[in-house]
Amino acid sequence: MSTAPIACRARNLSVAYRAEPVLRGVNFSVPLGSVMGIVGPNGAGKSTLIKAMLGLVTPLTGTVDFSGRPLDQVRRRIGYMPQSTSVDWDFPTTVIDLVTMGTYGELGWIRRPGKAERARAMAALEQTGIPNLAARQIGELSGGQRQRAFLARALAQAPDLYFMDEPFQGIDAKSQQAMVDVLQDLRARGKTIVMVLHHLATVRDYCDHVTLLNVSVVASGPADEAFTKENIRTAYEARDGAEAFLATAV
Amino acid sequence: MDLIEFFGNHTFRMVFLGTSVIGLVAGALGSFAYLRRQSLISDVVAHSALPGALLAFLTAVVVLGVNGRNMLGLIVGAVATGTLSALFANAIAARTKIRIDTAMAISLTFFFGAGMLLLRVISDGSFPGKGGIDDYLFGNASVITIADLVTSTAVGALALLLMLVFWKEFTLRTFDPVLSTVLGFRAGLIDTLMFTTIVIAIVIGVKAVGVVLMIAFVVTPPAAARQWTRTLPGMVALSGVFGGIGSGFGAYLSIMLGNVPSGPVIVLVLFAIFLISLLASPRRSVITTALHRARAREALRRALLAEGTDR
Amino acid sequence: MSFILGTSLLAVVTALACALPGAFVVLRRNAMLVEGIAHAVLPGIVVGYALTHDLNSPWLIVGAALAGLLVVLGNEWLIRTGLVTGDAPQGLLFPALFAAGVIFITLDFSHVHLHTHVVLVGDLNLAAFHQLSVNGVSIGPRYLYVMLAVLAVNVAFITIFYPKLKVTTFDHQFATVLGMRTRLLNTSFMFLVSVTVVTAFHAAGVILVISLLVVPAAIAHLISRRLSVMLVLTALFAVVGALAGFWIAYALNAATSASMAVFFGLLFIAVAVIDALATRVRRYRRAGHAGIKGLLVRPPHEEAERLDGSSPAPSPQAAE
Repeated sequence: MSTAPIACRARNLSVAYRAEPVLRGVNFSVPLGSVMGIVGPNGAGKSTLIKAMLGLVTPLTGTVDFSGRPLDQVRRRIGYMPQSTSVDWDFPTTVIDLVTMGTYGELGWIRRPGKAERARAMAALEQTGIPNLAARQIGELSGGQRQRAFLARALAQAPDLYFMDEPFQGIDAKSQQAMVDVLQDLRARGKTIVMVLHHLATVRDYCDHVTLLNVSVVASGPADEAFTKENIRTAYEARDGAEAFLATAV
Repeated sequence: MDLIEFFGNHTFRMVFLGTSVIGLVAGALGSFAYLRRQSLISDVVAHSALPGALLAFLTAVVVLGVNGRNMLGLIVGAVATGTLSALFANAIAARTKIRIDTAMAISLTFFFGAGMLLLRVISDGSFPGKGGIDDYLFGNASVITIADLVTSTAVGALALLLMLVFWKEFTLRTFDPVLSTVLGFRAGLIDTLMFTTIVIAIVIGVKAVGVVLMIAFVVTPPAAARQWTRTLPGMVALSGVFGGIGSGFGAYLSIMLGNVPSGPVIVLVLFAIFLISLLASPRRSVITTALHRARAREALRRALLAEGTDR
Repeated sequence: MSFILGTSLLAVVTALACALPGAFVVLRRNAMLVEGIAHAVLPGIVVGYALTHDLNSPWLIVGAALAGLLVVLGNEWLIRTGLVTGDAPQGLLFPALFAAGVIFITLDFSHVHLHTHVVLVGDLNLAAFHQLSVNGVSIGPRYLYVMLAVLAVNVAFITIFYPKLKVTTFDHQFATVLGMRTRLLNTSFMFLVSVTVVTAFHAAGVILVISLLVVPAAIAHLISRRLSVMLVLTALFAVVGALAGFWIAYALNAATSASMAVFFGLLFIAVAVIDALATRVRRYRRAGHAGIKGLLVRPPHEEAERLDGSSPAPSPQAAE
């Protein structure tokens, strides 16, 4: 393990649905400034891990801390990009409205988003390359544009630590490139990124750290050490998809 | 009043038998609505049966010049508007961005509003046999005639017979819609058949129970029966039994209490059956499941904590 | 104030008070839950009347609203047990509560002069019967001021919590990550809906209350691209529907609230059809097509949108 400072850490984290463990004794830590990919087969608990770390599901055991501090003290510094299937795309809201929601965490009881918040949202849209879509209703976007709008919302939160749930899901090449540029920029600025990835083939392109998950952690660490054939095989329990991938990619 | 006296009275006998038949048919067929997770559409269908029942009354009285409270006419009219309302709700959900729950509320208020307008027209006009026509709202089991009982029993039996004949198709369509299509069953046809039987189960209750509370007859017995059974035949049978016996007992209670409408009393009896099932059925009740789950979670928590300290 | 003016004002204010929170009800997909609330407040009203002997007493309103909240919380509890599937939890509690209310009324338990018939459709004219007067000058029905107060509370709540309501309704997990107390907000909102239902009940009855809460907002949803626009259009449709329904009923001597419910349904159909046609015309203009024939066929890319997985399919909020 490296001795770099830790952005966030899970200790013995377990989540159960009814009496079935979805996550079992997960220990892992994300070094500050790293891009950590969470990889594993379907039903491995990847999204649940992110949700447990963000307090969206209640853990059965274990703790999560962010540089030694609890979640409630650091919320302002955390950005979240959920799976795009989790919202209602017919909701009456425009892209700029959606992105402005990223600034709502700082509003108190009475204050509402004003010019400053709009400007931040617009800047985030420019970063993801879709300022021209600001006035569109969100349902009119393509899959890739939706992901870019969600990424812009996370950027508008102006956090130090990003959690992204399958950011490259259902995305076109152009959007993918735009998002990769943003990720590289974030990394250059020393931000920490934790993301769930579905396609094994892309892991090495985006991540310098990897956690292989299948209910419990199979391996976690720098990509070179953790993302090995051996570990992938263990995590995927020799499922067909992984075999095909192993035959061609690694 | 003892039981012999109770059953010796013609009206009481009609109330008891009429509501029992309704409860039995609705309970058995409601199981399919329950398992297909479409219980609430029965509320829409029931409310929307009102304009159909009233149109049937008007047609019978004005056009045909016969008794407007004829059970068969009522059933035909109620099935027509009930089905229309469900189709309307589904069309809204399929063709606009409005979701099914809002679509159901739109359909329900539209059809029921039309029913209330018709009710006003009828009560303001001079139509023979209009007295007590607003019983269709909350039902009045004491006006069930032998002819009504025979008609609703026959129609209900027909619906149950359809269910038995197409049992295999209904079952497959309920549990594995994709497979049933792959196997070549005409999905649309089976859905239509299944839905028609459920609509029939709803509308035969309009006269005795009323349109407003009919949903309880379709939803409550299956939800109760589900807590005791693990197979579909078991669930359908028990749900029918719960519906039939609960309705009969509720009708008996309402007569014993005097001056209490039987529909609401039956609804409360059915709800009590459901609560008891939920809280106390040995296999999967709130109490046993909660205990079991808490124990399992605690065991799991201990094991995981032990694992955690080992590392 | 003349009786007609007072009564039509009451219709408008009641419609507005219901329709504004209704916008969020529709977006949160709680329409059928509101159907349950609207039925469940009946026993609360009857019992409350037995205790207070005043249908407009704030105690009665709060008490009956708690009965409505019982449906909301009971529904959540039934879902959490995992023992009742599908939408059945929403259909189990309210018929029982409503049945209890009907039995209370028929037993003349509280001497409340409610006809079970009136429970369903309300009686606007009866609700407007008690007139208030200042120095001998009539200032309209007393009930109008009760509804005005509810409308003011609803407007204040929506204004104060607008950003929070918006983000929790759209994406409640994101709102939780932002540190918002989504559960508290949700329960408070449903309580407010419940209060609105209880107060609107005498004028509108169970069915029209649901219609007022759901249909104007649904019509506005069809043609709005922004939430603020949707709220304004919801208010507009509520006022138009209330006035039109009132005058149609007056002209035809029909039941007021039933007329309104039917009018709202027809308005929904009209707007849905016009919107669908307009969309089709726009598409074909854009694609450079002409002629009426093309309008009747569904454009092929509409089907394609539905298949690519990113289409607005119902999104179960599963854990994973």
